[in-house]
Amino acid sequence: MRSDRLIPAVHAAQCAWALAVATFFAGGLVAISAVTARGESTATPSSPPSPGQPGTADANARRLTDAIDKALDSSWTTARIEPAAAADDAEFMRRVYLDLTGKIPSVERARKFLADAAPDKRERLVDELLGGAMYAAHFANTWREVLLSGTNPELRTSVPELESWLRLRFAANTPYDQLAAELIAASNEGTSRRARLSAATIPSPIAFYQANERKPESLAASASSVFLGVQVQCAQCHDHPFAKWRQTDFWSLAAFFRGVDMGATAPAVGDPTTLALVDSFDRSGLPIPGGKGTAAPRFLDGTEPTWKPELGNRAALAQWVARPDNPFFARAAVNRVWAQFFGRNLAPAADSSESALAGHAELLQEMAGQFVANGYDLKQMVRSIVLSRAYQLSSKAKTLQGEQAIYFAIMPVRRMTADQLFDSLVQATGFYEPPASRSQQQPFQNDSARVEFRNTFAEETAGASETQTSIVQALALMNGRLTGDATSVESSKTLTAIVGAPFLDTPGRIEALFLAAFTRRPSNEETARFLAYAKSGPEDKRLADVFWALLNSAEFALNH
Amino acid sequence: MTRLTRIAQQTDQLNRREWLKYSAAGVVGFSFSGWLEALAATTTPKSRPGGCILLWMNGGPSQMDTFDLKPGTPNGGSFKEIETSVAGMKISEHLPKMAKHANEMCLVRSMTTKEGDHGRATALVRTGYLPQGPIRYPTFGSLVAKELGQDDAELPNFVSIAPFRALSPGAFGPGFLGSQYAPLVVGETRGATPAQGADALKVENLQPPESLSAETAEGRIDLLRSLNERFLGEHASPSAVGHDVAYRRALRLMRSAAAKAFDLDQESAATRDRYGRSRFGQSCLLARRLIERGVPFVEVTLSGVDDQVLGWDTHANNFDAVQKLSDVLDPAWAALLDDLKAGGLLDTTLTAWMGEFGRTPVINANGGRDHFPNAWSTALAGGGIRGGQAIGRTSKDGMTVEDRPVAIAELLATICKSMGIDPATQNISNTGRPIDLVDAKAQPIAEMLR
Repeated sequence: MRSDRLIPAVHAAQCAWALAVATFFAGGLVAISAVTARGESTATPSSPPSPGQPGTADANARRLTDAIDKALDSSWTTARIEPAAAADDAEFMRRVYLDLTGKIPSVERARKFLADAAPDKRERLVDELLGGAMYAAHFANTWREVLLSGTNPELRTSVPELESWLRLRFAANTPYDQLAAELIAASNEGTSRRARLSAATIPSPIAFYQANERKPESLAASASSVFLGVQVQCAQCHDHPFAKWRQTDFWSLAAFFRGVDMGATAPAVGDPTTLALVDSFDRSGLPIPGGKGTAAPRFLDGTEPTWKPELGNRAALAQWVARPDNPFFARAAVNRVWAQFFGRNLAPAADSSESALAGHAELLQEMAGQFVANGYDLKQMVRSIVLSRAYQLSSKAKTLQGEQAIYFAIMPVRRMTADQLFDSLVQATGFYEPPASRSQQQPFQNDSARVEFRNTFAEETAGASETQTSIVQALALMNGRLTGDATSVESSKTLTAIVGAPFLDTPGRIEALFLAAFTRRPSNEETARFLAYAKSGPEDKRLADVFWALLNSAEFALNH
Repeated sequence: MTRLTRIAQQTDQLNRREWLKYSAAGVVGFSFSGWLEALAATTTPKSRPGGCILLWMNGGPSQMDTFDLKPGTPNGGSFKEIETSVAGMKISEHLPKMAKHANEMCLVRSMTTKEGDHGRATALVRTGYLPQGPIRYPTFGSLVAKELGQDDAELPNFVSIAPFRALSPGAFGPGFLGSQYAPLVVGETRGATPAQGADALKVENLQPPESLSAETAEGRIDLLRSLNERFLGEHASPSAVGHDVAYRRALRLMRSAAAKAFDLDQESAATRDRYGRSRFGQSCLLARRLIERGVPFVEVTLSGVDDQVLGWDTHANNFDAVQKLSDVLDPAWAALLDDLKAGGLLDTTLTAWMGEFGRTPVINANGGRDHFPNAWSTALAGGGIRGGQAIGRTSKDGMTVEDRPVAIAELLATICKSMGIDPATQNISNTGRPIDLVDAKAQPIAEMLR
């Protein structure tokens, strides 16, 4: 998941559409927007339920799904856009597994779901996945990348204490305001040095501070980008004409993080053992570079904290960030979660000069309002999104559908993250035993196979070319050890089981391989082609070739 | 017409153009006939190979003991100066072969920067920008690969040999340009020791497992082709195209005659000896083979000798270490220049020697020299560079630049200019802001150029 990006007005004018389009088609989360003719918007957001209103979580989620469907439908009508066809069960299942658990389903689970005739089977599947341990693991992976975005990529492969902290929070469905506040006000005050020496086994968000090198300016940039969806750090060095933020805004925000650097006893990055992280009560602020005076701690809305002696700087910031009336917080959260499922923001970031498409800003506002009213319930928001009509649209298109994509009227084809691809290969091939310590309560010990894989497949950056798979990645998947083992009759669990299954004939074996890799059955034409191939030599070897081709295909490697 | 409609129409045109470009290059197309043929087809090479070979001296080499000696002064140390093929231009006695190439070399003795930390200095020198804010600056090789590379080349447009990236990983990557401009890395030094053995400089996973017959490998690729044909036909999407392009390029590399560049056994034992049987020497030989086959940017890292990874970081026993490193550097670089010249490629191929900073003129208590960004040296040879001269001058004690201080951006702008790249070219960064290839405030140094 990528961080929000902003196209400042001055550049949008220079680069015009090419930039917006190129960035959008690169799969980024740039909020593409356009000015629509006045009066075209017919979306009428319904009022969110008041907090006191009775209603189960399910009912709330359903209400939100209805709101999404209504708003987008109206937006499509206004723009005269024909949405893509509905995704079939196989397409939906693979997608929702990848988005909620970070991996594709097993053959058995796929067969069961495809055979299920009940009309509510998608809802039941979503509930099952949201309740499972892999939901927490996948969201922890996703948020690790969000929180550490822009920091040393190598560090991201070994932050067990952050991963386990995130897993515990997502497993418990900790309200999102609480999660944010915990991170912003994180402290290990009162823990002894001895306890900190074993900190790698204590779930904690302190890696966020280490990855940002304990620099107030990096932390302010990261925290505001993650939790407020704004790019105030663009004003770090100087004011930009036409930009919303001034240099003082940035340094006033950074001033809340004063004192996290702890002077000269800087521990090595990734080494939590010596870090003492305590809140500061020094309100004297930070110097603005260039001799432009001092910035005292001040919130982005221009207000100042009501200081009390016992209120630390970061604690004050945490309170403000997670306040229900914070104009940025809930909106940024909805946009970020939306982008996790649709590949880009629902509406432009709060500080963007771009305007939203008809109805989209209203929908964002409504979802944000309900998110607050429902106690920042992340699972509920996720549930309402994946059961929306837009999420259940097909990604199939014979020609590029730029306009459909901009309106969420087609599901974009998305690249998998390194973790999704690794876990999906493991799921499809069954050759690899994840370490026992992967349970959510235990610190996550990264095993060497995963680290190696992450090093090859991790994006160096959330850059402009996210649609690009690299040559090295393709070579690793075609010829590397992981695929080699996975497609060897001697060492691949899935392959061995399918090849040796006495109750399957050859077409049945081909079908099982398709289900393992694609979560779908082969077409008649595919069955014929692969059957002919399987009969062209020793069947077990030929089926290994089939499996190799499936695992290397675009259909396997992409989330569609 | 609303702006949205315009955007949508232009999107469509843009992408149609992209598709046509891919089709024309034989890389991708709606019609998949010729998927395999396209892979086997040789691509048209550039009119003449050439580009840049960056000789990266990881750790910060001592200018005082290589190209800017101060013999007979308290800071001078034990090395002597020797005459070169250019009158008055003297260098270290431990670089005798390079001394003969002085007429091709342009020394810059007045580099001056402010970063004395390995990580930050590495980022500065290798990207041209100090790391700050959210912008992920690309490494110089990625920037050059984007300008000079060909999308349909058989070999990647940027190869990095034996890098040691741990101190500043971002400074070795494509940054906001994205993975298509990432280097193909061979012989990477991971952890504390360099990769070893005969395969150390080979591309990982370039060939299928040996147990696989050629016929089976073809069969597999044929199946893969049919699967991707169907998927791309049903999913017209940039991500799907991106996947397909990477596979086609990987397959083309696997089948490419040009991939033989990595097979150093094709060179005679005498040639391999000339470069020195060191890891760095053989890497320089590989760099030459890649340039000959049209790769526009190759970087070769000299991390150290005897399994060191920061060999130039000579805080102790500086003289012993620099002598050993010079013994590795000298034959390798000289043989590289000899061969480029013999092959008619020296005019189009720049070799650039540099590290992240220099070393203190003052010798410390351990007989070492410490980090020193204030006044240090780089050396360029070949390409559009005017050889036989030294730019700038340091004080007698080596502590300050006395003439023509050179900033990193000026050096990089000069290198760009020497290769025919406009350093003011802009790329769109990950924040959406256009960024100059080299900070446009810096001008190329005219007297360095031919």
